[in-house]
Amino acid sequence: MENVVELKDKKYPELLKKIKGAPKKLYYKGNWEDIFSAEGGPASGGKNCLAVVGSRRLTSYGRRMTQLLVSEIAASGITIVSGFMYGGDEAAHQATVEVGGRTIAVMPCGIDLIHPEYQEELYQKILDNRGLILSEFEGNFPPALWTYPKRDRIVAGLSQAVLVVEAGLVSGTFITVKHARSFGRKVFAVPGPLTSEVSKGTAQMIKEGAEIVTEAKDVLKYFKLDSCLAGPSNSIGAMIKMSDQEKKIMENLKREPLEADGLARALSLPVSKISADLSLMQIKGFIKQEGNKYYVQ
Amino acid sequence: MLVKVASAANLGLETIKVDVEVHLANRGLPGFEIVGLPDKAVDESKERVRAAILSSGIEFPAKKIIVNLAPADIPKEGSFYDLPIALGILKSVLPFSLPEKSLFFGELSLDGSLRHTRGAFLLALFAQEAGFENLFVPKDSANEASVIKGIKVYPVENLFELTNHFLGRKLITPAIFKKSEIDERLPAPAEFDMKEILGQEQAKRAMEIAASGSHNIIMIGSPGSGKTMLARALPGILPPLSEEESLEVTKLYSATGNIPPGGSLVTNRQFRAPHHTASQVGLIGGGTRPQPGEISLAHRGVLFLDEFNEFPRSVMEALRQPLEDGHLTISRSRERVEYPADFMLVASANPCPCGYLNHPKKNCVCSPRQIRKYQKRISGPILDRIDLHVVIQPVDVEEFSENQKASEFLESSEKIRKRVALAREIQLKRFKKENIYSGQDARYINCYTNAQMKNSHIKKYCQLTKEVEQLLKQAGLKFQLSARSYMKMIKVARTIADLDGAGDIGIIHMAEALQYRPKIYEDV
Repeated sequence: MENVVELKDKKYPELLKKIKGAPKKLYYKGNWEDIFSAEGGPASGGKNCLAVVGSRRLTSYGRRMTQLLVSEIAASGITIVSGFMYGGDEAAHQATVEVGGRTIAVMPCGIDLIHPEYQEELYQKILDNRGLILSEFEGNFPPALWTYPKRDRIVAGLSQAVLVVEAGLVSGTFITVKHARSFGRKVFAVPGPLTSEVSKGTAQMIKEGAEIVTEAKDVLKYFKLDSCLAGPSNSIGAMIKMSDQEKKIMENLKREPLEADGLARALSLPVSKISADLSLMQIKGFIKQEGNKYYVQ
Repeated sequence: MLVKVASAANLGLETIKVDVEVHLANRGLPGFEIVGLPDKAVDESKERVRAAILSSGIEFPAKKIIVNLAPADIPKEGSFYDLPIALGILKSVLPFSLPEKSLFFGELSLDGSLRHTRGAFLLALFAQEAGFENLFVPKDSANEASVIKGIKVYPVENLFELTNHFLGRKLITPAIFKKSEIDERLPAPAEFDMKEILGQEQAKRAMEIAASGSHNIIMIGSPGSGKTMLARALPGILPPLSEEESLEVTKLYSATGNIPPGGSLVTNRQFRAPHHTASQVGLIGGGTRPQPGEISLAHRGVLFLDEFNEFPRSVMEALRQPLEDGHLTISRSRERVEYPADFMLVASANPCPCGYLNHPKKNCVCSPRQIRKYQKRISGPILDRIDLHVVIQPVDVEEFSENQKASEFLESSEKIRKRVALAREIQLKRFKKENIYSGQDARYINCYTNAQMKNSHIKKYCQLTKEVEQLLKQAGLKFQLSARSYMKMIKVARTIADLDGAGDIGIIHMAEALQYRPKIYEDV
């Protein structure tokens, strides 16, 4: 069976149909019915779609924020749309499939290609979680410089809103946001440190009217949904069981993610004294290491 | 007239006796031939011997001279047959007799003096084992040979002096071993002291652990983060070689001619840092006459491979077997040579092609594909053989000028070295019973450090309590450790416990060891 949906078809996504220059044909792999079913369902007509985009050069902060926000949003029933590129896109897809959420990957190439090919595992995971792979290009159409902005227009067109995690001042993410604005879709942006190149773009978007996002609720409110997660996990209970030194480590990490050296300096302890604690806390799941820095889980 | 003079040949680290037979025929045209598979250097000895004898004021006999190096089927190389050949000729001219049970060895200069010759230490060892009593070597090599007790080592300055000795005119006094200052300078002392390196507390701690247990270590970090500096500071925290280790290393250095004139024992741990353009033979050893490579010269010391993933793949993979076994056999059609190569590998690498992955200030410009490709240059099996993995973050110098507290942590190399030496002593005691073989044979590498432990040793000396085992299992699941990594973690934890002076491996030791598990490169 050829998996194609044409513009005139009934099951063609409503939101996408509205945009100027909507793709005439959409090739897909995976589960069309669940996501774009015309009659009801959890996401009827693809109305609960959120595009999540971010820089290809996602920082560890960006990855962390994507994970925090997207896992909660996706778990609440929103379908996450993104472009399957490495960096921000990959993080968004990854976070979604980790909580078993549904996600749509819009490819910049023919439907039979996996691009970038080393993300095959993620590709499979998306399909396993009843997600969808989508493209307006057929067969083995190779990705080219001009196909990316075209892909971006579909990402924006499919979604009610766009969430930007990190973006440089000159980046593909801006193209998606530009499309979203012209289609009249909402833009959310995650603030970040202004010293970082990839937070300058999001700051610019906020200046231009994007809504600032500090927690998943900000986005969920727009979709008129409640968070499925009941507040922060029982971290207070866990704190009681911690030793004094572990508590001190937590306090410092809550203020600012640090690497082992920085933490040792902040606590005025030799690194050999805190190394054991760091490993143990990591195993217990209190903290997490990413890009050599430790974060509070 | 036939004269026999005893000498020896070094094949790798083994020495065999070579009889130098000199025959002078009164009939036939005057000439000079050497037979017995001489190489170019041995063959040229004819000219050196002739000139040296003439320079010593003795007439060169105008006879047909045949020199045979027996056994005749083993290839002879090197310049050290000069002295026995010259003596054989001299004996037929001058009225002296050679002392019994004597070995002769040395290269002649055209003016009749003897030059420093490689392998004197090995020769002395052989002389002792084979029951020789006297050893005549060049003066510059005498200190090296006199380390071995039980034989008389005669330092010979020149041919003239030696003939006087045999004629009883003026006797040469045997050399007495004295520790030379030259040895202390080999290798050059550490370029940096650990206290000169700001920050990098975790990396320094990892270095301390690595030095204590002779663990292999890899440092991954951006350019300018201080990887090379840390490695260069490492010799400063290494304890000196033990007596047995020192003999092992001296053998290798003597065989390769790396002992300077007047030098004797190698007492310091060697630090070898070959450039990444080094050939496989240069690094591992080999050649038509198998020579030890850098890994053998780093025996009981440190092999520092900077920019590890710039080394050719074949060279890197060749490290696998010696890393595991601590020695290697080089096989050629004619001969088979064993060299010890029990070294501590210190490798450094960048995290990605541009070098700035996870850099706090600079942005990385590499795509994930490039990063993968770059990281894959170091193969899994090699990474699996490295015990400690450290990520090095660049240090913010400004932070240190403001933060006085940070400077309090700076420890001098000397202080760290004392702790390392203590930990090594504990290990020496532990493995004393394991060393049933004598240290003389390259094939049996003695176990001195935790890193060398085989699985049977781990079972015996690293009994884990239930809690520690539980922790390790949990960590194995959480961090996806391979079976080999498990063993590595136990070894490292053992060393940390030794540094702590603890008898058993505790939770804190294992937890600290887990900090140095494979990190960035783990999915390669």
